[in-house]
Amino acid sequence: MTVKDVFFTTYLLMPPGSMKRLFLPLTLASLHLANAAESALQIQFNRDVRPILSENCFACHGFDPKHREAKLRLDTFEGATENRRGSRGIVPGNLKDSDVWQRIISEDKDELMPPPKSHKPPLSARQREVIKTWIEQGAKYERHWSFEAPQRITPPAVVGAEHPIDRFIQDRLAAAKLKPSPLADSATLIRRVSLDLTGLPPTPGEVDAFVQASAKDSEAAYGALVDRLLKSPHHGERWGRWWLDQARYADSNGYSIDAPRQIWKFRDWVIEALNKDMPFDQFTIEQLAGDLLPNATESQKIATGFHRNTQINQEGGIDKEQFRIDSVFDRVATTGSVWLGLTIGCAQCHDHKFDPIEQKEYYRLFAFLNNQDEPTLKVFDPHVDVSGLTAEFKEVDAKLKAYIKDHQADLDAWEAGITPAIKKSLNGTVNKILAVPKAKRTIEQKQTLFAAGVGGVGPFRELNDRHKELDTLLNQGVTTMVMKELPKPRKTNVFIKGDFTRPADEVTPGTPKVLHAFESPSQQPNRLDLATWLTSPQNPLTARVIANRIWQQYFGRGIVETENDFGTQGTLPSHPELLDWMATEMLAQKWSLKAMHKLIVTSHTYRQSSANLPELREHDPNNYLLARQTRLRLDAEVVRDVCLTASGLLSPKLGGPPVYPPIPDGVMGQGQVKRVWAVSKGEDKYRRGLYTFVYRASPPPSLTVFDAPEGFSSCTRRIRSNTPLQALTLMNDSGFYEFATALEKVIKKDGLETAFKRCTARNPKPDELAVLTKLDSLNQARTLLNLDETMTRE
Amino acid sequence: MNNLLHQTRRHFFSRCSVGLGSIALGSLMAAPAPKMRNPLEPKKPHIPARAKNVIFLFMAGGPSQLELFEHKPALTKLNGKPIPESYTKGKRFAFMDSSHRSDLLGSKIQFKQHGQSGAWVSDLLPHTAKIVDDISIVTTCKTDLFNHAPAKLYMNTGSGLFGRPSMGAWVTYGLGSECDDLPGFVVLQSGPRGPRGGAVLWGSGVLPTTYQGVPLRNQGDPIVNLSTPKDISVAQQRQVVDSVRELNLKRLVETGDDEIATRINAYEMAYRMQTSAPELMDTSGESQATMDMYGIKDPKEASFARNCLLARRLVERGVRFVQLYDTNWDHHGGPTENLEKHLPMKTMDIDQACAALVKDLKQRGLLDDTIVIWGGEFGRTPMGEVRESTGRNHHIDAFTMWFAGGGFKGGTVYGQTDEFGFGAVENPVHVHDIHATILHQLGIEHERLTVRSQGLDFRLTGVDPAKVLKGILA
Repeated sequence: MTVKDVFFTTYLLMPPGSMKRLFLPLTLASLHLANAAESALQIQFNRDVRPILSENCFACHGFDPKHREAKLRLDTFEGATENRRGSRGIVPGNLKDSDVWQRIISEDKDELMPPPKSHKPPLSARQREVIKTWIEQGAKYERHWSFEAPQRITPPAVVGAEHPIDRFIQDRLAAAKLKPSPLADSATLIRRVSLDLTGLPPTPGEVDAFVQASAKDSEAAYGALVDRLLKSPHHGERWGRWWLDQARYADSNGYSIDAPRQIWKFRDWVIEALNKDMPFDQFTIEQLAGDLLPNATESQKIATGFHRNTQINQEGGIDKEQFRIDSVFDRVATTGSVWLGLTIGCAQCHDHKFDPIEQKEYYRLFAFLNNQDEPTLKVFDPHVDVSGLTAEFKEVDAKLKAYIKDHQADLDAWEAGITPAIKKSLNGTVNKILAVPKAKRTIEQKQTLFAAGVGGVGPFRELNDRHKELDTLLNQGVTTMVMKELPKPRKTNVFIKGDFTRPADEVTPGTPKVLHAFESPSQQPNRLDLATWLTSPQNPLTARVIANRIWQQYFGRGIVETENDFGTQGTLPSHPELLDWMATEMLAQKWSLKAMHKLIVTSHTYRQSSANLPELREHDPNNYLLARQTRLRLDAEVVRDVCLTASGLLSPKLGGPPVYPPIPDGVMGQGQVKRVWAVSKGEDKYRRGLYTFVYRASPPPSLTVFDAPEGFSSCTRRIRSNTPLQALTLMNDSGFYEFATALEKVIKKDGLETAFKRCTARNPKPDELAVLTKLDSLNQARTLLNLDETMTRE
Repeated sequence: MNNLLHQTRRHFFSRCSVGLGSIALGSLMAAPAPKMRNPLEPKKPHIPARAKNVIFLFMAGGPSQLELFEHKPALTKLNGKPIPESYTKGKRFAFMDSSHRSDLLGSKIQFKQHGQSGAWVSDLLPHTAKIVDDISIVTTCKTDLFNHAPAKLYMNTGSGLFGRPSMGAWVTYGLGSECDDLPGFVVLQSGPRGPRGGAVLWGSGVLPTTYQGVPLRNQGDPIVNLSTPKDISVAQQRQVVDSVRELNLKRLVETGDDEIATRINAYEMAYRMQTSAPELMDTSGESQATMDMYGIKDPKEASFARNCLLARRLVERGVRFVQLYDTNWDHHGGPTENLEKHLPMKTMDIDQACAALVKDLKQRGLLDDTIVIWGGEFGRTPMGEVRESTGRNHHIDAFTMWFAGGGFKGGTVYGQTDEFGFGAVENPVHVHDIHATILHQLGIEHERLTVRSQGLDFRLTGVDPAKVLKGILA
């Protein structure tokens, strides 16, 4: 084997630990051959060696001292080269004396590493070659890439490419002797970008206008389209759902009782914040610590619902503290994966086995999130003058009470005159009060008696009616779950093995040492300090993680494929320079998410055709190099939204309480407590999928069947499954059937071609029409709503 | 010619009642081979398998081992006396703050020894008593969690947290299914309400939803959205499936996207399920003798007994994993769930049918290939609870499950508990050991069946070592 092959292989094995590694294309490798030639065949630790060590060695010879075998650690140069009673794991430049090498090539079962009992196969010939060359070249270590600050380089110059993203992508393609695909046609493009930016397909009229405008000036037409879509209020719905997945939002408490909860104000806050393009640092701070901002507004308090989206166990006989702690565990893990892209949760029971995060550091993060009261906040419609009404209520209440006191005689007279016949006509509450001795009656009871008797007319009635009215108005607001800091912080301890009944050392709030420094102005750092730390420009992770997660929505896969693991066990970025460039760009754009969206969708890489032509199929079957776009099955909610739009039923109403579109009989009876599902009336039946009420324990089947998350834990990437139950849903579900009957009306009124275009944004071809015209109009409509193309972003 | 393409063609010509119509066959052949992927395609096990299928009879709520399998005269003798503190020191129980008590409660049910093995079974299970030589009784099962929903999750997913793959999902993920017109993992329910925890008990967690359990329902459509809308005829439904396929095929040729091929496959299976699922549920072809053996009075009425019969029919059709949930086994005492009146009602519901299932599988030659599991999420305390009538609290240190078929050794009683049945004194069996053993019998090494998510290799048996229970295997 040549040394060149070494590079070939290491890249091939790049994403450690997952099955996905097997599918990495040869093209990536051949590309690295080119790079390798320039860099004098130098092994790079992070790219070539670390994945092998991490997958095969670190579990027993890594960061976690409790599970470290033979006191040997291979995750640091010092550890690997330490003289341990005369033997050394690695002796740079000396294979013969390097135990690691001798054990890897050993033919003795008891000596061989990794040991057979670990169920890890011996290192492949090519992996051995990498380790060998690396040791020979001096066994140089590098810090893990994602813990270093992003480096911004000038995008490479590529002939015919202006856009920075295209320059990075096409430079790599050229090295692999591949070309980008041509632009997708205009109809495909408007459907693609409409679905991606708003989650709704374009109308046939919008398609025609865009196709015509593109024919004149494609750049101008596309630019205008993107601007229009980014301004659409539906943009916040589309990307709001992206964030709500990560926030593990749902409308019930979870666990076995799964009672409904009110927290949809948080959902609406997210939609509004994204529509306003709230900078991501502020977006972060308000959600994690809005209540701690000076003069926190109602909106900033609502935002703290983010970490109230944990489950609440209401089962009988439980230990409440256990489940409170479980929810804090969830908050730590969610904060770690959403903002840092790290599997911090792994350090709950022991030091992290792969990343340099100590168990103690885990509990220091836990300490930030352990000091909260978990109240609800009452929220009023903005047009309700709460302070005015409250003042008036106080005034009316005082007058009413004074009136009752002053007119006690009237009441006595009325009471004296009650005959058995009158008594019978009075309601139960009144009779109960009458049974109470006069001296013991409360003012409220007297008020009820007045209303039932002498107070039926005159000034009492006026006061009493207004009193009731105001009371109702002031109770009408909705509640939403929020965070509030306890005046005195709870003590936080390390829990042995993550078991809350086994507290060990006490810890104070703090952040992992491996990342940028934590600075707190106060003695008792709080969530606000944590949020500020997360969004610090010094943080090497957050901007990369968020840029990557946005990218993933547009291409189906992140530049770092393990979107929630940027640690040493995660995959390396396929385009590291591009990721860093985008991360730095996000900071340069003052954390504007809309700027990132615009940056990506205006690239050729985004706008190119998704056709998987034979040549690409052969060289890069999984499209790691992005010589084409990727067809993506739409998200669960968007499948619904597309069918609703095509059939003309969609209600474009934004926000508000969750709704109850029809669901199949019997699905609410699966959990422990049967929940009522009173089907919404009027336009609420036809709202976008993200407004459907989600019970965590019995979520709506038409959403889960298309992989919508149930909100048990943070979801940073949805699975895209492809199953018979999806087919049954689209063909037979009463909701989708209703959409088909509405689409049939479109066919009858505007013709089959219009209906086809409403589903796919393109005109049908003659052979397609020939298939459809064999059917009656209703079944034409059903066929259209079941097409793969209808539920796919091309 | 490419093998997959060949399969694709064969699939369309043989399976579909309508030909390819106007599809340009030539262009399909010229296109790169689309992969017809059926994610449930049978897969090769890691090691030679002793069993192919699983039927898990889940008694939700925690059946009392002390009234069913654990004969403890000492408990009866010391009835009403406090349990020695050495047993309970440092332990946590459910309902710590209210009804939990520490006085021993002797069982009022009679026990006898049965079969060649002489296994103790109580009079509440006369039919189970007759199959003791076909089953392995394990009296020392232990779990980690003492509340219903988390413990049920633990028994089904190996973790108390919501959102992990269930055993059925893991097994269909690992082995696929040998049935191509029904889901690979099917769930049947009986009892007054759903089990605590609900759909997550048969969820697929981090695995694709393809592998999640599909509940077969006794009322309405057996599978959600199985029936064609009522105004659509069978012929029209077929036409729609055919038209969708033809248009999808054209798109497949244009885009070269394998997902379209998978979707075409999914629509065909969906269409077949529309026929095969009602056929499965229609038990009119079963003999009266069979009905009597299971104790099915009205074949149209939903019951645990009918679910047992359906389980056999599912396994006959190659479905990989069948799970039955029967609820209301939570006998704390009190007016609705006590040991005197309500436990015998539950055992009446299930005893005959459980035994019939084992016998029926055996007489049809299916028992060798099928593992039958009986048990709940935990057992019940040797101490009684102070409520209006007799009951026991949740107990996690020792409870009983039994296993039959699939290479399990019949006529075995495994594990030994102390005189009160509080904890194991010999051969403790953790839930993860049970999981490891079941996977082992199916030919799966539990440490190798993993999926990477959130930086961890998830597996059914968790991180601590789990062992295969050689002592109950033939």
